[in-house]
Amino acid sequence: MTFALTITSSDLLLLLPEILLTSWLCLILIIDFSFPQLPNEQLAYFSIAGLVATLGCLVWFDAAGITGTLFANMFALDRMALFFKMFIVGSTILVILASIDYIHRFRFFRGEYYFLVVMSALGMMFMASANDLLSVFVTLEFSTLGFYVLVAYLREDIASNEAGIKFFILGIFAAALLAYGISLVYGETGKLVFSDMTTVQASPGLVIGFLLIFAALGFKIGAVPFHSWIPDTYHGSPTPVTAFLSIAPKGAAFAILLRMFFVALATFKPVWTLLLVAVSILSMTYGNIVAIAQKNMKRLLAYSGIAQIGNVLIGLATGTKMGSDAMLFYLLTYLFANLGAFAIVIAVSEAIGSEEIDDYSGLGRRSPFLAFSMLIFLLSLAGVPPLAGFIGKLYIFIAAIKEGLYVLITVGLINIVISMYYYLIVVKKMYVNEPRDRSPLKVSGPIKVVVYVCLAGTLAIGVYPQPVTDWVVSAIMIFSNVADPTASLPIPPAILPFGG
Amino acid sequence: MGDYALLYILFAPFVGAIALIFVSNRQTMLVRGIAAGSALVSLLASLYLFVTYDHVKAGFQFVQRFEWSRQLGISLYLGVDGIGTPLVLASSILLFAGIFVSWHIKDRMKEFYIWLLILAAATIGVFMSLDLFFLFFFYEMSVIPMYLLLGMWGSHTKKYNEMTDPEGLKQRDSVGFIFNFGSNSKEYAAMKLVLFLSAFAVAALMGILLIYKYAGLNTFDILVLRDQAKLMNIPVLGTTLDKIIWILIFFGFASIAPLWPLHSWSPVGHAAAPAATSMLHAGVLMKLGHFSIIRVAFEILPETTRELMPIAAVLCMFSIVYGGFVAFYAKDTKYVIGYSSSSHMGYVFLGMAALDYISLTGAVMYMFAHAMATGMLFAMAGWVYDQTHTRDIPSLGGLSNRMPFISGCFVIACMASIGVPGTVNFIAEVMIIVGSWNKYPLQVIVAVVGIVLTLAYLFKMMRGLFYGPMDQKYSHAHDAVSAADRLPLMIMIAVSIGFFFFPMHLYNVVRSGVDPLIAKITRVVPVAQTGEGSGVRSAASATPRTSDTPLLANNPSPLTPDPSRGSE
Repeated sequence: MTFALTITSSDLLLLLPEILLTSWLCLILIIDFSFPQLPNEQLAYFSIAGLVATLGCLVWFDAAGITGTLFANMFALDRMALFFKMFIVGSTILVILASIDYIHRFRFFRGEYYFLVVMSALGMMFMASANDLLSVFVTLEFSTLGFYVLVAYLREDIASNEAGIKFFILGIFAAALLAYGISLVYGETGKLVFSDMTTVQASPGLVIGFLLIFAALGFKIGAVPFHSWIPDTYHGSPTPVTAFLSIAPKGAAFAILLRMFFVALATFKPVWTLLLVAVSILSMTYGNIVAIAQKNMKRLLAYSGIAQIGNVLIGLATGTKMGSDAMLFYLLTYLFANLGAFAIVIAVSEAIGSEEIDDYSGLGRRSPFLAFSMLIFLLSLAGVPPLAGFIGKLYIFIAAIKEGLYVLITVGLINIVISMYYYLIVVKKMYVNEPRDRSPLKVSGPIKVVVYVCLAGTLAIGVYPQPVTDWVVSAIMIFSNVADPTASLPIPPAILPFGG
Repeated sequence: MGDYALLYILFAPFVGAIALIFVSNRQTMLVRGIAAGSALVSLLASLYLFVTYDHVKAGFQFVQRFEWSRQLGISLYLGVDGIGTPLVLASSILLFAGIFVSWHIKDRMKEFYIWLLILAAATIGVFMSLDLFFLFFFYEMSVIPMYLLLGMWGSHTKKYNEMTDPEGLKQRDSVGFIFNFGSNSKEYAAMKLVLFLSAFAVAALMGILLIYKYAGLNTFDILVLRDQAKLMNIPVLGTTLDKIIWILIFFGFASIAPLWPLHSWSPVGHAAAPAATSMLHAGVLMKLGHFSIIRVAFEILPETTRELMPIAAVLCMFSIVYGGFVAFYAKDTKYVIGYSSSSHMGYVFLGMAALDYISLTGAVMYMFAHAMATGMLFAMAGWVYDQTHTRDIPSLGGLSNRMPFISGCFVIACMASIGVPGTVNFIAEVMIIVGSWNKYPLQVIVAVVGIVLTLAYLFKMMRGLFYGPMDQKYSHAHDAVSAADRLPLMIMIAVSIGFFFFPMHLYNVVRSGVDPLIAKITRVVPVAQTGEGSGVRSAASATPRTSDTPLLANNPSPLTPDPSRGSE
């Protein structure tokens, strides 16, 4: 295989968001070193400015329909990649805003914190475009590199160090699995680009290879049985990092999973549907049942995150275009609800210095704003109308029932009820229990912005989802022929206009 | 107003709730004013709706439709027929009354009104949804406000307050886990209610999703599904698909009704709830169950309904008798009324199960009548609780000296609940009994026994509360004297008595909704017996029969499925 690296200016245009962010990354580092006296907020707002510019660039690409591939198909910029890049950049902006007050807990390297966050975001942006096993490996490790440091950023805190070590060892292990899987697949097929693999024949080496790759990506998204790092790492990490870890890498990994299953392995759909159904059922059930016993808010959200990923996997298991639309939609609703919930965890822990669920007692009296927002986010995670999470769950279930995955839907529906229990326990603490200390809580400006954005997203998508569904449907257009073998068959005219 | 009446009714409480967010809790009168104002808009619009509903034209009127999601085939499709109209009216009357009943709430009044308005609006939304998705949407939406209303403003039972933990006298903090049977706290009641209703709601959702998939029309529109979905005779798991869907829908929604063995969340929830919430809960929230069964199962699966509705006829007997006996022995005022409600909901199921013009009309009228009667009872139980801080009947007594107005109203409310002539409940009860006599004589006898039981436990409670010797510690209790306190009771009494003397419009409206439904269910006789190949289609457009003769005379055993029935 030879690369003819003749990059034209129009090729570089496709990389414009990444180039912009890379140069901004260097600027952040230079400014941090050159002006050590600069207040940290300034650097945060400077990083946000760069990310907003990148987001603007991505929106422009999406609106203008600029797409294409680079480097012999290693880098694909299609509308799905653009969706995930916006998803990642948007969540990074919210995470940085939520970090501004938290940062005083770090004794050293406050400036580098923003550098590392933006660097991870850059890595994940590349992940969203990775269209080739090699670039999957490189981008995945690139994005994880920043997280290894970020997770252990509270240097004085034992839990944070433990989280860092755990995450590092398991992460390296997953990377090894990924590399081994890639070598097996390459050895069997001689191909690396996903879209070239559509014609491969099944062989034991190939199956093991893809299973190993799936295990590595399953580690990234935290699906059972690859979830064991999640609770401790979420618990120990600085809360903004937990928030970041809980949403952005999952989005990026789902971009790769979509490409892998829907493009490379489209012909083996009956096989991997079974695998994904099993993983999804395990994730939902395990996550929800274990979450019941949690006493710490971050751990609760960690387990609820595992369960939510199980829900997203339902969409992947359907293997249809509608299922992947629903996944994207669900991830978006999860972004708002989850980041909002973590923002409130940050605000509460800034005010009372605790993340235990018991210390949320009487939050409804101490800070009606925080309690009400938390209520909305938790109910959205549980899937209660008229919030975004309900529409997301329903969208996924509709996609699944069209494929006839009855067992999966039944388990998913039962899990809604289970999850309602532990979310409502938090609601009960906040509203029913009396506070030990009645002094009102102070909420800082940046956190308020994050909460307002997440509230607006959760309510707006829940009340009128049409714009978002249009967006995800057009973002997944690339798979319409590959993933749905029945697409070429005559379809009753009633179904065609709905695009699903 | 005109065509937009439904939007006013549905969105006025939502707008009121949103407006309340921006008001401070200290501006008491402003908070009450906004809440009462938005409820009043809703009430006036639903009065307009009820009065102007054209029962000659029948069908779905005041229809509003907004596309909501093209990909999923969902639109916000609102419209009322003769069955929805009186229930919408009942909801808005109870909401308006409930605002005044909770006039004196001190703790977090603003939040209370916000959740109450959302609860009522969601309930109203179910009664006017013509889209399966939105029916479920509003149904689920009504559950969560209940949790907060019970948890934040509810009250523990006497048993709970007397409980101590092994070490000292500290009250236990109940986790509220559903398996924690020993607990009687409000948290337990709230959690049990939410989990119970959610669990059955997802069963109903499964049924809805199955309808959506097998209809293959990519729409949740009830009217389209009613006319075009072909769900019959698809073999699944040794039975047919329509039966599975029907069972899921029926039991999914019957849990909120609450049908006997699924009732256990309901009295506990009633007991824990604040007065206004109990009113809405017993008055209209429970009717969501019957209404949704009528709207989904009766409309979309008429043939299966005819086959399987005897299930309801069997279970409703247990509902009536069990609820009645427990109510007789209960010592807590709200438990008595709660169990009496679940017992009375058995009548509605009986009226529905008979699948007869008169009995179903009676059932719908009974839902309306019961909303008023039970609303009054809960409002007054709440008043007594506020004055005495106990719901324990043996420790109360002689309150009629202190509160003559309340005890007078209580007598009327008991009369209404029993169904004494003079209240609209009488008309409804007689219609249910007359209508189902031909088909279910045993159940009718049970229902009559139930009426006697109702009389017994309500009079027992009335005596326990208002007559006999009075404990001196209640001598500070006072009557409802201000207009704001008397208004809700006066409204409900007026409605209850008024419709006894002028029932014709109510009857005509309900009948206009019932007729096409029953015509469709009962006239689709098995193909083998009639020899007509196109029973379903022709029945839908045919003029309804107006006689009240037993309609299943030519089909003696509706329980046994006829194997020879082919698809139409």
